[in-house]
Amino acid sequence: MRNYRRLALGAMLLSLVTLTGACSSGGGSAPTIKIGSVGFDEARVMAEIYGQALQAKGYTVDMTGVGLGTRDVVAPAIESGQIDLQPEYIGSRLAYEGGTPTGDSQTNEQDLQQKLNAKNLTVLDYTPAEDTNAFVVRPDTARQFNLTKMSDTTAVQDQLKWGLATDCPTNALCGAPGGALQGAYGITQQTIDGATLLSACDTPMADALKNGTIDVGELCSTQPDIIVNGWIILTDDKHTQPADNIAPIVRNDLLDKLPDKAGFETTLNDVSAKIDTSTLAQLYKQVAVDHQDASQVAKTWLQQNGFISQ
Amino acid sequence: MNILYETVAWLTDPAQWSGPDGIPLRLGEHVAISAGSLAVALLIALPIGLWIGHTGRYTTLAVNLANLWRALPSLAVIAMVLPLTAPLDPQLGFKVYPTVVAMVVLGVPPILVNAYAGLSEIDRDLLEAARGQGMSEWQVLWRVELPLALPVIVTGIRSSAIQIVATATLGAIFGFGGLGHYLVIGFATLTRGGLGEMVGGALLVAGLVIVTDIVFALLQRALTPHGLVLDRARSTAAA
Repeated sequence: MRNYRRLALGAMLLSLVTLTGACSSGGGSAPTIKIGSVGFDEARVMAEIYGQALQAKGYTVDMTGVGLGTRDVVAPAIESGQIDLQPEYIGSRLAYEGGTPTGDSQTNEQDLQQKLNAKNLTVLDYTPAEDTNAFVVRPDTARQFNLTKMSDTTAVQDQLKWGLATDCPTNALCGAPGGALQGAYGITQQTIDGATLLSACDTPMADALKNGTIDVGELCSTQPDIIVNGWIILTDDKHTQPADNIAPIVRNDLLDKLPDKAGFETTLNDVSAKIDTSTLAQLYKQVAVDHQDASQVAKTWLQQNGFISQ
Repeated sequence: MNILYETVAWLTDPAQWSGPDGIPLRLGEHVAISAGSLAVALLIALPIGLWIGHTGRYTTLAVNLANLWRALPSLAVIAMVLPLTAPLDPQLGFKVYPTVVAMVVLGVPPILVNAYAGLSEIDRDLLEAARGQGMSEWQVLWRVELPLALPVIVTGIRSSAIQIVATATLGAIFGFGGLGHYLVIGFATLTRGGLGEMVGGALLVAGLVIVTDIVFALLQRALTPHGLVLDRARSTAAA
């Protein structure tokens, strides 16, 4: 509750400041930018970062939609104009829109833009950071079998206990016949059948890896458990996992209404350029593990990187 | 219609009926974990319930504790037990024990409360008569109280069994198989044709629950003492 109140107060004060600012400079009325995101901590902190960066440039921002729900809720919300801007995972959104994400971020962005043209949405520059599926091991396992990349697991697959996503055995990006694991890394059907199936990027998978129930776990690359436990991400050396960088998606009608469209896009693109995978993982950890307020985490990061004054 | 079609297609696919991920094996796992949990719950709840019912001691405490116990959500119990059992055994302690503990927690209250209630409802005069005939306390319990209370006690076991079979589905979230496996996997692959598997799995769980209920209903009928059945028939005839 307190967060909402603080947010509301902040938004009110800022809107006052921007209103008076707009009046004194005699400029046109800038539209309020309604920001939304999925409910996931990482997406929420990214939404806060984009929103507060815009606020610092004098835009009026409505953060009510942050943490709105799943992609099934947020995607229709931006299409119908209930929100104007959202941080999005370009690979996952491309798959959601019916496309096929690849390991190449640029292709994914272009393909997604093509899909979103019809919906009057624009994808801005993506972050270097990506939150993608990652196969993770404990340091003791990595030392014992000398593992640094996924190819290293092929020869010792029988000696490892695998923890895979529940949908892995039928997912082409994972363990389906001819898919990423079998096709690129020579992981056998037998290994996949013997794996413990758990919810990927989630607590049961992290717990299982921690307890030694499994030795290799399918997690997300920015998942805080990896930093907290000092686990090692095996490099996807055959580039099988889709590049899932984060980019802001904006409604075209909002862009058209802006007095300074180029400045608006530059603001967001400058922010995105500074977010790499370890930055994102740290931001995510501060919210999910340290239980800090997402808006405060965003504010601190923006201050440290000179996007808003101290 | 789509749901119906996909579900029927999944259930009638011969591939589902064999192999390491086949329905017979998952059904076996589900029945095994349910039966094991029910057995443990019986071992805990029945002696306590009978003792409380027989002696009439600590009734308020026990019944209230049992009802409070009921408020514990099974998923939370699994999550709480997992960190305790996982270090004991990385495989069973992760995939099996937490679910068994949660199912025992779920199964104890109905058995305990019904055992107590069954005994406490018996006409005090009958017990006086039994004691007057020189029966020991054990004989009173075994020869008078237990037979008379059996239908109520079995009702408790029946509702406990039904709840356990239905809820053991949760174990799949933590890597235990059982029929919940299909729900978890069906849900995970919902956008890639998992709907039939998810609904099919749910139907299988529902079917198993119904079968369990029927088995216990028959057991209940078989275990009801002859005297009680006759007595009931006579009293309805008189009314």
